[in-house]
Amino acid sequence: MAEYTTLKTLDYKGLKCPMPIVKISQELPKIAVGEVVEVLTTDPGSLSDFPAWAKTTGNAILETKQESGLIKIYVKRQK
Amino acid sequence: MDTQLSRDLKRLFETRLNSAMKMYLETCTRCGNCLDSCHVGASIPEIKYTAVGRAEVIRKVFRRYFKMQGSFAPWLGEVLEFDDGTLERIYEAAYSCTGCRRCMVHCPFGIDTQQLMSIAKALLIGADKEPKLLSMLSDMSIAKGEGIEETKASYAEAITNLEADVLALWPTAAEAEGAFSRPMPLEAKGADLLYVGLAGAHSIVPAAAIMNAAKERWSLSFFEAVNFGAFVGDSRKMKAIAQRIIDEAIGLGVKEVAIVECGTAFRVMRHFMGKQPFKVIAFVELIDRYLSQGRITLDKSKITEKVTYHDPCQIARNGGVIEEPRRVLRALTEYFVELRPTKEENWCCGGGGGLVAMGEMEFRMKSSKVKAEQMRASKAAIITTACENCHSQLSDLNEHYALGMKVEFLSHLVAKALVRPGQSYRL
Amino acid sequence: MAAAAEAVSAATQAVAPAAAGTTTDAVTAASQVAHTGLALAFDKLEYSVMVPLVYLSLAFLLVALVVRIVKILNSPPPPYQLALYPARKRPWMAALGESLGMPQILKRSPALWVALLVFHLGFLLLILGHLDILGSINLVPPASRDMLGAGGVGLMVTLSAFYFMGRRFKGSYRQISIPSDYLLLLLLLFTFLLGDLISWGNSWTASGFVMTKQDFAKYFDGLAAFTFADPRAILHGSHYHMVVLHVVLAELIFLVLPFSKIMHAFLALPINAVRRRVWTHS
Repeated sequence: MAEYTTLKTLDYKGLKCPMPIVKISQELPKIAVGEVVEVLTTDPGSLSDFPAWAKTTGNAILETKQESGLIKIYVKRQK
Repeated sequence: MDTQLSRDLKRLFETRLNSAMKMYLETCTRCGNCLDSCHVGASIPEIKYTAVGRAEVIRKVFRRYFKMQGSFAPWLGEVLEFDDGTLERIYEAAYSCTGCRRCMVHCPFGIDTQQLMSIAKALLIGADKEPKLLSMLSDMSIAKGEGIEETKASYAEAITNLEADVLALWPTAAEAEGAFSRPMPLEAKGADLLYVGLAGAHSIVPAAAIMNAAKERWSLSFFEAVNFGAFVGDSRKMKAIAQRIIDEAIGLGVKEVAIVECGTAFRVMRHFMGKQPFKVIAFVELIDRYLSQGRITLDKSKITEKVTYHDPCQIARNGGVIEEPRRVLRALTEYFVELRPTKEENWCCGGGGGLVAMGEMEFRMKSSKVKAEQMRASKAAIITTACENCHSQLSDLNEHYALGMKVEFLSHLVAKALVRPGQSYRL
Repeated sequence: MAAAAEAVSAATQAVAPAAAGTTTDAVTAASQVAHTGLALAFDKLEYSVMVPLVYLSLAFLLVALVVRIVKILNSPPPPYQLALYPARKRPWMAALGESLGMPQILKRSPALWVALLVFHLGFLLLILGHLDILGSINLVPPASRDMLGAGGVGLMVTLSAFYFMGRRFKGSYRQISIPSDYLLLLLLLFTFLLGDLISWGNSWTASGFVMTKQDFAKYFDGLAAFTFADPRAILHGSHYHMVVLHVVLAELIFLVLPFSKIMHAFLALPINAVRRRVWTHS
């Protein structure tokens, strides 16, 4: 896994459908291309939603981490 | 507007002209019986926010391109040509309409404004002016279907992490051994039922507890039920999104697919996808069945405040599930009161048709004033519903209009009131 | 009355003007002067309206109606169920009841419902009343000088049409109305008013109209028998032009009907059935 530093953390814990994806779509254009954000979520669906979203929008998921009840997703703006 | 686009849009319009649509376009007498049917028009008194106001935008385009009078006497029907102004009006009509079809209840002919707005939405896609967020969400859903194998393992891990939450609501899995011995079975061969949730553990955990309590042989879908293709009016994408779940259900050989509390997802699956080798039911129907079969029991002492129920449009008047939630509520509490108006006459929450996903907070709050007033007039402490979209909108209304209510999913209240073996309870 | 009618028919047969003495005779005499030039052209125009155009417009109406309805109903069906719930036990019966009874209007605007009922019932009686003029159909005794309803049917449709028109100028109703809504109502209103004039003149004045119901019966029977005779020979007096105008307007209605919102009369049942028919397999 490549080295990267996260610019900021976005807390999407407990959000309802389809807000995690809606929010990341709104937030990502606010950071520079090449930057990485950390997303915190409790939504198990995010683990397939975020990669599918990244594929659709041309961005990248660098890594996902899971702890009990918490999911961390590292999103890099590529476009 | 360049004539090529104009021609393309006309052709697109033509593809939507089925027999029902032609009747919806030809039959309106402008009697005005729908003038106060729409929650938007009732909250913001402008003609463009009435059912007939919206429909006429599409009819004016129809008269221009598909009626003789459009050529020789365009003034007769105040026709509209495809140009930027018209497309703006089309957008405003389509995306101020939640597709609730309350106006269809009041129309002496039963004209379906949601269908007419589906023409509007198709034209907007053709003109590349649809809400890009909804298209993106649809594409994401389809991409998720294509790449599902790659993410199954991490999804399974996340589901395992949620098992404790399910067991806290109901202490066991459906069966002690075998495929149904996990609190949330995934890809469980031999399952009778496939449960399709949404993004968010809240849409899976309580439902899992209820199904386990009923000893259902169920399996959890890898997909989310919501259908953004339907919201944006793209029938091809709508079908592709639903097809992911159909394929999954057929692969598992289930007899039934239960759809999470989500109105659009339910109606698309039950009424729009044709005959399938399985039955489609709303989750609230499943709860009602468990109760009537005595497979679960609810403790009535849990709720001691007035509870009301908001009929989600796509589940009740458009989906046919009206009495089931009421039976569930009566099993749950003695303090159930109806909203007025209710059932097929209930006011839409104001969040349907993709509006919640699109944000649109200011419009949603302004356009649902009548809904907030109806909620307040019920004097209920808790408003329950069986749709994610409605739940989000009702929560926003509750806050914006300071109604001081609690907004709850019906399934959550049921899960919390499940009577455990050996527990004392009140019926 | 009978004497007057006799005098009229006698005058008709006579080529030379009958001896002056009664008003009727004078009127008849005036119309018997051989026309030339513009007056002749006008006679021909009136004849076209009263005979060939009646056939043509009626034929057009029937063909256009059938073609349009078949085309609409034969379009591909909607790709999925569009029913509204709660489902009705007998969907087609429900659709029929809604088409005829308009319960949605009754519930939300009872005054409009009454007007609509009066109008639509009146319209049906109007069709019947016109058919009754034919010698072979006798809902009202043929000797009676009254049409069906003795002018009451005309009153039903005229008053309700005025109500509809007035309504279209009020607030929101004005905003949802389009020019063709007003024009169609205006067309109906003028036709009704002329009809009222003819039928009232017939039944409400002591001497009757210059043209009697029996005269109209002859005209109708001539049309039914395709004699192509000039009705001017039967229908006397300068009021004839009003009758022609009434017929022109009726023909105009026949011509625009298949392309107007009056199509709701024929589509009400199938469109209501779309709302009531539950066919999803689940």
